Amino acid sequence: MTTAIIVIVTAVVVALAIIWLKGRRRRPVDGVASFRRHIDALSPEARREVIDRVQNARETGKGK
Amino acid sequence: MARDLAIDLGTANTLVYMKGRGIVLNEPSVIALNRQTGEVLATGREAWQMIGRTPGYIVAVRPLRGGAITDFEITERMIRLLLQRVGVSRFTRPKVVICVPSAITEVERRAVTDAARRAGAADAQLIEQPMAAAIGADLPIDEPVGNMVIDIGGGTSETAVISLGGVVALEAVRVGSFDIDAAIQNYVRREHGIAIGERTAEEIKVAIGSADPIGDENEAEVRGRDLMSGLPKTVLLVPEEIRFAIDDVVSSITASVVRCLAKAPPELAQDFLVRGMYLVGGGGLLRGLAQRIERETKVPVRMSPMPLEAVVLGAGHCIEHYEALKGMFMGARR
Repeated sequence: MTTAIIVIVTAVVVALAIIWLKGRRRRPVDGVASFRRHIDALSPEARREVIDRVQNARETGKGK
Repeated sequence: MARDLAIDLGTANTLVYMKGRGIVLNEPSVIALNRQTGEVLATGREAWQMIGRTPGYIVAVRPLRGGAITDFEITERMIRLLLQRVGVSRFTRPKVVICVPSAITEVERRAVTDAARRAGAADAQLIEQPMAAAIGADLPIDEPVGNMVIDIGGGTSETAVISLGGVVALEAVRVGSFDIDAAIQNYVRREHGIAIGERTAEEIKVAIGSADPIGDENEAEVRGRDLMSGLPKTVLLVPEEIRFAIDDVVSSITASVVRCLAKAPPELAQDFLVRGMYLVGGGGLLRGLAQRIERETKVPVRMSPMPLEAVVLGAGHCIEHYEALKGMFMGARR
C-alpha cells in the first residue's frame, strides 16, 4: 500500500516537473509575441481609455 | 479584492491612480507630526497649509527631497495613510506601481519598495518617471520614431528619448522647481535683506517668475521679516530680478536637455526637429521655460495637455496592462 502511494506521488511529481520544464523551454520562443503585446499595450488606442477617464473626470469636475 | 494602484510619489505632490477608476488622490507630499509624541496630525493639503506656520511641537515636513526618501519612517507612514485613504486595508493588499526618478540609486529603490510593502502593498514595482510621463502624455511611443519628453518635477528634472516602447537616451539632474523657490528665497535675503518662507517664494515664482522675457510682466509686492530689525517689511520685486535669481537653476535644466539631445542616435535626432519635445511636470509650467529651452536647443517645445497628471497616468496605464508592460519596470531590466 505504502509503496503504491510512493510510486503514485513520484509519478505525479515527475509529470509536474516535465510540464514545468516544457513551459520554461517554450519561453524564448515567446519573445516576439511578448514584444508585440508590449508594443500593442502602448498603442494610442490602448491608452485612450485611461486618458479619457481622467479627461472626463476633469470635465465633470470630479477629478482628483 | 484590492484594486491595484499606481503612485506618483513626487517631491512636491503625490498622485494615486486606481485601476479601473482613474486618479483618486492628488495632494502635496507633506506630513505634519507632533514632535513630542510622533503622532501624525495631518497629511497632504492640510499639512501643506501648516508649513512654516507651526508651533514648536508640530513639524510639517516633506519626506522626499530630490525625488528620494530622506526620512524612511515618515515616508512609510505617509504612504500607509495615503493607501488607507484610497481604501487599502490589512485584508486588501494591492499591487502597486510607483514612479521614481531615473537617477535613483539602488539604496533609494530599496527604500521606496520597502516603504510601500510595509505600508500595505502586496507587490511594489518601480517605473522611471520620464517613461511613465511619455506614456501618459499620449506620445506615439509604440512607433519607431524619436519621442522626447522633459519632466520637470519638484526635486528632479529628467529628459528622455523614447522609441519603440523603450528608453533610448536619458539624462537627469537633481534640480527642480523647489530649487527655483530656494534661489528666490536666497536672492531676496541677499539683495533685499528680508527673510521669506518657501511658500512665499513659490507664490513669487507663480506670480512673476519666468525663465525668459515674456510680454505683459508685472511687479510684485513681497512681505517678509527684515533681517536687521526683525520687523515685517515690504519690498517690490520686478520680473528681471527673479529671472536673474533663478538663472543658474534654469541653465542646469536646459544644459541637461542639451546633453540628452547629444546622446540621442542621429536617426532619431531628426525626428525632434519635426515632432518637437514635450514638456511635462509642474516645473514645466514656469513661464518662458518652453521658450528658453526652444531658444537654446533650436528644437520646438510643446506643453503636454495634462502636465501634472502625465506621470501617474502613464503608471496607471501600466497597472491596467500589467502583464504586457511588466518588462518596463525597473527591476525587470536589471
